[in-house]
Amino acid sequence: MMYDGLTQMQSEPNNSRRSFLQLLPFGVLAGVFASIGGAAFRFLRPRIAAASEQWVDVAALPELTGPQPLAKKVVAEHISGWAVTNEEHNVFVLPASNNKVLSPICPHEGCEVTWEQSRNRFACPCHESYFAADGSRISGPAPRGLDSLPARVQDGKLQVQYRVTDDA
Amino acid sequence: MTPESDRIRVWLQTTGGIVAVLLLVQFLTGVLLAFYYVPAVDHAHTTVSYIEKVVSSGSWLRSLHHYGSQWLALFAFLHVVRLFWDHAYVDRRVQWIAAVLLLMLVMAAAGTGYSLPWDARAFFSTRVAEGLVSGLPFAGRLSRLWVLGGTEISTITLSRFFALHVLVTPFAILGVVLWKYGRRTCWSNVNRNALVGGLVFVALAVWCLKFPAPLGPPVETMTADYLPRPGAQFLWLYQSLKYVPGGLGSIVGVVLPGIGLGILLLLPWLKAKRLVGLTVLATFSAIILAMTIAAHLSDRRDPRTREQLAKQVAQEAAWRNEPFSPRSLQSTQSAPQTSTAAGPPDMYVKFCANCHGAHGEGAQQGRLRFPSLLGVGAKPRRTVDDIVGLLHDPAAYGLQPPMRSFSGKLTEEQMKEIAAWVVQLKQ
Repeated sequence: MMYDGLTQMQSEPNNSRRSFLQLLPFGVLAGVFASIGGAAFRFLRPRIAAASEQWVDVAALPELTGPQPLAKKVVAEHISGWAVTNEEHNVFVLPASNNKVLSPICPHEGCEVTWEQSRNRFACPCHESYFAADGSRISGPAPRGLDSLPARVQDGKLQVQYRVTDDA
Repeated sequence: MTPESDRIRVWLQTTGGIVAVLLLVQFLTGVLLAFYYVPAVDHAHTTVSYIEKVVSSGSWLRSLHHYGSQWLALFAFLHVVRLFWDHAYVDRRVQWIAAVLLLMLVMAAAGTGYSLPWDARAFFSTRVAEGLVSGLPFAGRLSRLWVLGGTEISTITLSRFFALHVLVTPFAILGVVLWKYGRRTCWSNVNRNALVGGLVFVALAVWCLKFPAPLGPPVETMTADYLPRPGAQFLWLYQSLKYVPGGLGSIVGVVLPGIGLGILLLLPWLKAKRLVGLTVLATFSAIILAMTIAAHLSDRRDPRTREQLAKQVAQEAAWRNEPFSPRSLQSTQSAPQTSTAAGPPDMYVKFCANCHGAHGEGAQQGRLRFPSLLGVGAKPRRTVDDIVGLLHDPAAYGLQPPMRSFSGKLTEEQMKEIAAWVVQLKQ
């Protein structure tokens, strides 16, 4: 009995050491996955950059006349990670409202509105939201009027600040 | 065998564990790098630069992949040596064959992987691969076309190397590993393998924290004095090719190593296995060791080489300190259309179009295929001044007849006009 007890006592540390050693391969795997995994999280995490203050030219001031909204094109630089693209965007300028600049993007689902001169309103072709000449909402599913963009006059030109970097 | 030597021996039998851990590192880091890398000649270097300079932990993960491939090649070779020492080719044939196949695949992965950053070193690595396959007996010409995906190195070549590196060799490696371990579970010495594999990983991780993977200048900005050097696992090949004349490079670089590895694969069925295997492995070891040391010594001995290599290291360090510049994704189709809207220069039409195509696209005349000039401006030594020089003296730029000098037929101005039109041609 005493012998059995001694044998049992001596085998207990060996059993626990054996159990520990059996976990060693998993420990190594876990270590590799944890270190690379941690780096992988930072590696793959999307980069969210603040919008840059890039001002893009819209048109020379003498061109901006008349009571109607004017459709103009702007070219803004977009940076996505390692790539930069110049993309054209439409904007509407309201000469009658001190050259206020409106985004043509409907606040409902993001379609681009058109100006209906005969009805003196902006119309979204996707879900029939309508906006007044000053951009305010008339009717339809859009939750609000057309967004206005930051604008300024620089060296005789109207400039607008278009979003130039990706964000989540 | 004494108990003492047995205790040492079981620790030396952990090469399999080291290879397993390093393979795991290569798979994990390779997958991560693929999230940003783009395998096209106009984006590859930019995306690798982005990984190095901008992406969090990008430099470390890329360094793990780069140096991990070198350590993997070394330990895959040592694993074969260890298995040979333990007579695995006698009673563990599957393990033996799997180890030899793994060594071949690991070297193939490294060979294709070095081309992917598309820096100066990658371009020359691809050139060497082109040279080695084109010199193969009987199948050289066809092999070259298949490897390049065409008649010259282009973005198609890069796509091929990418597919081979990211899909074909990894799946083949996985297949070999599953074949080896799917047959029977052999878990002897697992703990020691795990421990040593873990220690090697820690050593690699620390090494990579200190040493980023090298990245040379983009191919299009490479200067004529750039000295390319291959990765550590190919230094022996680079040095060996210095001693081999003309068309024998493929024999030294591909055929003989292929025969040696083939012998090792067939070793279980050969007579005098021990002697044959020992001869092959000893020859490999001696050549690899001697040539690698010779390559290092050769670079140190020549002062001009030493100076140029130091200059390249300094240039890379300066580049690393510069902020990252995003690359424009604007279509380049509009640029050549604008400049070719007026058509190629008259003298190009008169003297060049017959062979190189009306728009630089290349042409077939009888059995002769004349190369396309599209994208040639991105190649080394093909600036406007280079092309003018080439029109004076094609041989000085590595071109063979039927390309000839146009010194007597074109004025300097006409050559410049042709050169300016050619360099802006895009693929």
